[in-house]
Amino acid sequence: MFPQFGATAESLSKASSLVFRIGTDAHLYDDPDDVSIAPLLDSSFDSEKAEALKRLLALIAQGEDVSNFFPQVVKNVATPSSEVKKLVYLYILHYAEKRPNEALLSINCFQKDLSDANPLVRAWALRAMSGIRLHAIGPIALVALSKCAKDPSSYVRKCAANALSKLNDLHQEENASSLEELVSILLNDHSPGVVGAAAAAFNSICPNNLSLVGRIFRRLCETVPDVDEWGQIALINILLRYVIARHGLVEESIMASSHPSENSDSRRELFSIPAPDRGSILVEVEPSEHIMRELMLRHYIEGPEQYSSRQIDAKEDDNGSNNNSYFTSIENNDVKLLLQCTSPLLWSQNSAVVLAAAGVHWVLASQMDMENIVKPILFVLRSSYASRYVVLRNIQIFAKAMPSLFSAYHEDFFVSSSDSYQMKVLKLDILSTIAAESSIPFILQEFQDYIKDPDRRFAVDVVAAIALCVKNLPSVAKTCLEGLLAIVKQESSIKHYGSLEGEAGVLIQAIMSIKTIIKQDPANYEKVIVHLIRSLDNIKEPSARALIIWIVGEYSDVGHIILKIIPVVVSYLGQCFSSEELEAKHQILNTVAKIVLSAQGEEHELFRKVLFYILDLAKVDLNYDIRDRGRMIEKLVTSQPKISHQEGILHVEPDSILLDELLKNMFCGKIQSVTGAINHFRLYLPGSLSQIVLHAAPGYTPLPQPCSLPEMALENRMSQDGIEAANSSDSSYEGSQSSYYDSEGSIPSPVDGENPDSGSESDVADNDHYMLRGANGSPDATAIGQLIHLTDTSIHDGTAKQSTAENNTSSATDLTNLMSKSALESWLNEQPCLPSVNSSADPSRERSSARISINEIEVSVKPKLNVLLEPANGNGLRVGYSFTSEISKISPLLLCVEIVFENLSPEPLKKISLRDEGSTANPEFATQAFGIHDSALEPSKVPTIVPMEEIDSLHPGDMARSILQVHFHHHLLPLKLAIYYNEKRHPVKLQPDIGYFTRPIAMDLNAFTKLENHLRGMFEYSRRCTFADHINIVDQEKGQSSLNDDKILLICRKIAAKMLSSASIHLVSVDMPILLKFDEVSDLCLRFSSEILSNSKPCLITVTAEGKCSEALDISVKVNCEETVFGLNLLNRIVAFLSSNSVS
Amino acid sequence: MLQCIFIISNSGEVILEKQLQGHRADRSICNWFWEYAMAQGGELSQLLPVIASPTHYLFQIFREGIIFLACTQVEMPPLMGTEFLCRVADIISDYLGGLNEDLIKDNFVIVYELLDEMVDNGYPLITEPNILREMISPPNIVSKMLSVVTGRSSNVSTTLPVATQSCAPWRKTDIKNSGNEVYVNLVEEIDAIVRSDGNLVKCEIYGEIQVDSNLSGYPDLTLSFANPTILNDVRFHPCIRFRPWELYQLLSFVPPNGQFKLMSYRVKKLKSIPIYVKPQLISSSGSCRMTVLVGTRNDPGKPIDSITIEFHLPSCVTSADFTSNHGTVNILADKRCSWSIGRIPKDKAPSLTGNLVLESGLSSLHVCPVLQAKFKIMGVALSGLQIDRLDVKNMPTQPYKGFRALTRAGEYEVRS
Repeated sequence: MFPQFGATAESLSKASSLVFRIGTDAHLYDDPDDVSIAPLLDSSFDSEKAEALKRLLALIAQGEDVSNFFPQVVKNVATPSSEVKKLVYLYILHYAEKRPNEALLSINCFQKDLSDANPLVRAWALRAMSGIRLHAIGPIALVALSKCAKDPSSYVRKCAANALSKLNDLHQEENASSLEELVSILLNDHSPGVVGAAAAAFNSICPNNLSLVGRIFRRLCETVPDVDEWGQIALINILLRYVIARHGLVEESIMASSHPSENSDSRRELFSIPAPDRGSILVEVEPSEHIMRELMLRHYIEGPEQYSSRQIDAKEDDNGSNNNSYFTSIENNDVKLLLQCTSPLLWSQNSAVVLAAAGVHWVLASQMDMENIVKPILFVLRSSYASRYVVLRNIQIFAKAMPSLFSAYHEDFFVSSSDSYQMKVLKLDILSTIAAESSIPFILQEFQDYIKDPDRRFAVDVVAAIALCVKNLPSVAKTCLEGLLAIVKQESSIKHYGSLEGEAGVLIQAIMSIKTIIKQDPANYEKVIVHLIRSLDNIKEPSARALIIWIVGEYSDVGHIILKIIPVVVSYLGQCFSSEELEAKHQILNTVAKIVLSAQGEEHELFRKVLFYILDLAKVDLNYDIRDRGRMIEKLVTSQPKISHQEGILHVEPDSILLDELLKNMFCGKIQSVTGAINHFRLYLPGSLSQIVLHAAPGYTPLPQPCSLPEMALENRMSQDGIEAANSSDSSYEGSQSSYYDSEGSIPSPVDGENPDSGSESDVADNDHYMLRGANGSPDATAIGQLIHLTDTSIHDGTAKQSTAENNTSSATDLTNLMSKSALESWLNEQPCLPSVNSSADPSRERSSARISINEIEVSVKPKLNVLLEPANGNGLRVGYSFTSEISKISPLLLCVEIVFENLSPEPLKKISLRDEGSTANPEFATQAFGIHDSALEPSKVPTIVPMEEIDSLHPGDMARSILQVHFHHHLLPLKLAIYYNEKRHPVKLQPDIGYFTRPIAMDLNAFTKLENHLRGMFEYSRRCTFADHINIVDQEKGQSSLNDDKILLICRKIAAKMLSSASIHLVSVDMPILLKFDEVSDLCLRFSSEILSNSKPCLITVTAEGKCSEALDISVKVNCEETVFGLNLLNRIVAFLSSNSVS
Repeated sequence: MLQCIFIISNSGEVILEKQLQGHRADRSICNWFWEYAMAQGGELSQLLPVIASPTHYLFQIFREGIIFLACTQVEMPPLMGTEFLCRVADIISDYLGGLNEDLIKDNFVIVYELLDEMVDNGYPLITEPNILREMISPPNIVSKMLSVVTGRSSNVSTTLPVATQSCAPWRKTDIKNSGNEVYVNLVEEIDAIVRSDGNLVKCEIYGEIQVDSNLSGYPDLTLSFANPTILNDVRFHPCIRFRPWELYQLLSFVPPNGQFKLMSYRVKKLKSIPIYVKPQLISSSGSCRMTVLVGTRNDPGKPIDSITIEFHLPSCVTSADFTSNHGTVNILADKRCSWSIGRIPKDKAPSLTGNLVLESGLSSLHVCPVLQAKFKIMGVALSGLQIDRLDVKNMPTQPYKGFRALTRAGEYEVRS
């Protein structure tokens, strides 16, 4: 159409470019409001939807709030068009936080997309779903995530790794362990891209779980070069932290070089450092470097909390962290491997990777090899402006700790005119730090050029840097002083400062620098002082004059020449006093007073005269401060002469000694050099944000304590296993568990004696047995995962039958993940037809011509008795338990469980008691005991019990009941208890019943429907099952009565009875249809209400039955509850007991 | 991790806002940033790349009048932030054929989509240009026209690029190019600091090897140098295998399709510079005479093109007038002088003379401007780096191989 566009577009000016913006999104951006967006969103054409969405994006880009379109946008999420989908996702993610409830509407669609054949669609859906940060979504997103973590497409897996930290941000404790598990799965992934993303997730989810890394350390190291650049940064950070935690610091490294035990007596030490051209030279480590290195060691390892606590009593010495056992050698395999695999990263084109790799070498590499990192980080200085600054900031620290490293590369820090002021200053600081004998001539020559820099602020800094150089290298003092004097001379020739800002600064700084230099050896630089004094005539700047006058006073008794010229100077000062500025007047007063105090002989009289002349002038000065000061000095000096005159003669009153002291201290006191400033200086890890902003940014973690990770004996073997276990979630998790508990198992367990089984099997190298030993032996293990529970009982009871039974029940209810997952999946499958359930219910209501609602039906409630201990296992003691709906008086979290003990043996049983497994010592303090030894693990998952009274004895055939109050922290994990009687222990497990985690609340039908309407959408879960309990009874009753009502009522009762005896709920109403057909039950609806014990959130249950009376009924159960996980689990439980065929 | 990315124009207008995490960063942070920038003197290119604001940590880069601003509230490697922003700027600029306010506004949907693919949860996701190009097609005139005519267009790909799965994400496996050629360009920048007396303070070359590969299939290339030892520092594109370089100083790689930067290198301590620039300042009672002479110093063997000398007059100079015997001189508003010479004529040495009037009270100029020289030399790599050979494996037919070199002035400064 317009073929010439492509050719000419560039050359045309902006004014005429309007034409060429045809077809771009410019019109959308510039005027997004010009059409009404709402109808477009409802359009049936994808292009119009896209147009509307683009307009919305434009409004977002311009900062408008367009969240009111949310419902309409969400509707479009189910589009097949990829562009519309992408735009909808962009929109939803922008507003998900703001409109959580509407965002939930899109979940269905994400779920559907997650099973799409196209990996891109799956990834988008996962990203969008995990991006909606709502607590309610947590469990669903977790299921989706664990599915995606095993996706065949590595891209989807990578997105899953990124989604992990999104989920982690929701702070859902119940998910924490599953997240860690997923991190470990993804870290084991064979695709390097996924490993990189998983490393980032690791850093945000479980940065301290370094044992996870231990097993696969070797493999991770080998993957590093293949990981994408961003992943490399996260990954090598983890590897570094692991090595430090596992092996400690490297003895030869710079971190360890300040180690006090090595050189506590002498602060100076010789290091051999290879220089590039000159072979190996010996470099002496300066004390200041030592301080720096010590600081580094402390700050890198110490967190901000420790630091601030140490600040409070600063004198306290380092808390023994400098222990020799914290060190390892460079020959350590892991250290070597890490250094080896990070070396090529120093060639990366990404500056962040280079700096991260350099950071690893800085901490771990030996000082000899440190040279390797220098060139790469210097080369980064030639990359983008932004990275230059950050790298310079890091080099600054490196250089301070090890100046010799950079001294050969001084050229790289030469200032270029395009550098910003901050960078120039940084370079200057580095230059003055690294200046060495060989490079100082070049550096000083550079400084000469810098003084001519048009930015006078920088010139001031240069002059200050000269003094710093002299401090490090006293040999150049002479040259520097000459230069500085020349500056003074030149600057003092500039007469008017008017607009020349900063010019005075250069002059003042030059004199300051001279002052700093001569302070080191005043006698030697006598001539310099004289020179300065002579320039007083030319210098007009008051501050500069004040400085010189101060120097006169300070060094008036130094050398010979000064002594001679002092009288002249003093008279000169007296002459010009009245014309001076305030600052200079102060100094003249002080200086002359000082000279008078220190002077002797005939000149003393002259000085006194001048002093009194000046004091007279001061008395009439316009400035009150000068007047006051004049009076004070006069007072002091006039009361003093006796002593100073007859020095040495014992003519001293106590007062005048004091006065003398005072005067000496006031005027002749030597300046206390300010040291220790470096101690307030905080160092952070190289390459960190905190190092740039100079405070600990939130989330900053120092290096872990050296050797804080326990020894892992089987590490190597496990690392092999780890590779095999890749991509198989269960086995890898098992692996991580066992590798962790191996170390526990090796600790001699105190309870071993009680436990001959595990003791005798301790030599077996089977991991499972190790785990068991850990579980039984050490108290830490009471709360380990479900796997242990299973095998545990099988060993103790010895009978295979029992164990299989246990296994069956456990596998059905124990595994939280499996359970919730299957529940969710079935729910997800149901979800699409959910509306149809609702809609079918409504028309049917209209259809059925008559219906009755009743609130009361006679129901016989019989709580189910569960078996805790079989008589066969318990030597004749049968223990059963049933949940009651009683409410505990102690805490709403406690459930009351009725325990029935029955003695079936011919002998009486003595001292029966039921205790929590872990608290063997004193069951009275069960809760406390738990608090202590579970603190390392997750305390929230451990159930606690309020102990029951011990039953003294139980005669044969007798029964005893008692109430046990239990706190199940988790509604699916069984509680491990032990029954003691006749001094024997029988471990048992108390299965929680989620049906009793609620409390019935009475409400009427209206309130129920109202509440139900509030809990729609995300909070509604339903499942279908069949109910067959009624068939027998219906059949039985066939002969007696043929009334339909009865039949239906019977069914109602049956269902209600089953519900009420299995859960602690309240029957709200029963809707019974009155139908013409005899045998058909349709639209039979029972409603139950309850609230969750722990948080009093309402939980509504609706059971709808359909089908023929004589056949199994088709039941649909619906739960409305805000607590997603709870609701789903409850639903599962209800379905389970409704569909189970109980013979009653 | 990064919380939010803003794209801001050089007048302070927020063009785009892309929230990256569930918890949103408020737009007011841009206002804070702008006030901060103005308080720092308004020189946007001189702002610190990492700024700690009261509520957020900001990373910013300034590219061609556009500020890319990202913020975070937690610890993260600062270079990761800035480097990522650079990558974003590179890719957007590559997509739009430049960077300016209008271009971004014209294509804001693409920019949004790009950002969405590039970063997930504040963490870089795909930064590989080849993959991005497959996921989101760059704007072109055909698609624009199509969208005008038919009213529909989609630049979002419906399929996942295969390269995301491969271990060489920079290249898709099934590339078919009509051409069968590979070009290797040495682009060198010479950095030098020359003192007023003509002595060389430092002189080094920063070079890049830019490859333009139009090869089909999955080619495996090996590039070797005649004199690799002169390379002081190197940085590699991820496609380069480390081992061959460590052992034999060979560059072995599977190239991405199209143009890319294969490696960058530095050659230090060079002894000669191609041109000399001799500034001379003679002050006398309130005015200063400035002369600048330019000429060829060590003939590189090829003509030196587009020579320009630029310098900032110190603030104490109130007025100046310049004349030159060759080329044109411009004095811009901010006391910036630019003397474009072009090519040095054979018959005479270009010279610039001028009179600077100093502020009253100054008898002589005590601060000295630094002159920056720009030039270009085609066909020469001044570092002396020589490509020995380029082997192409995995190809049915040997492709056409082209080599070119170019040297231009980088930070070429002459102090006066």
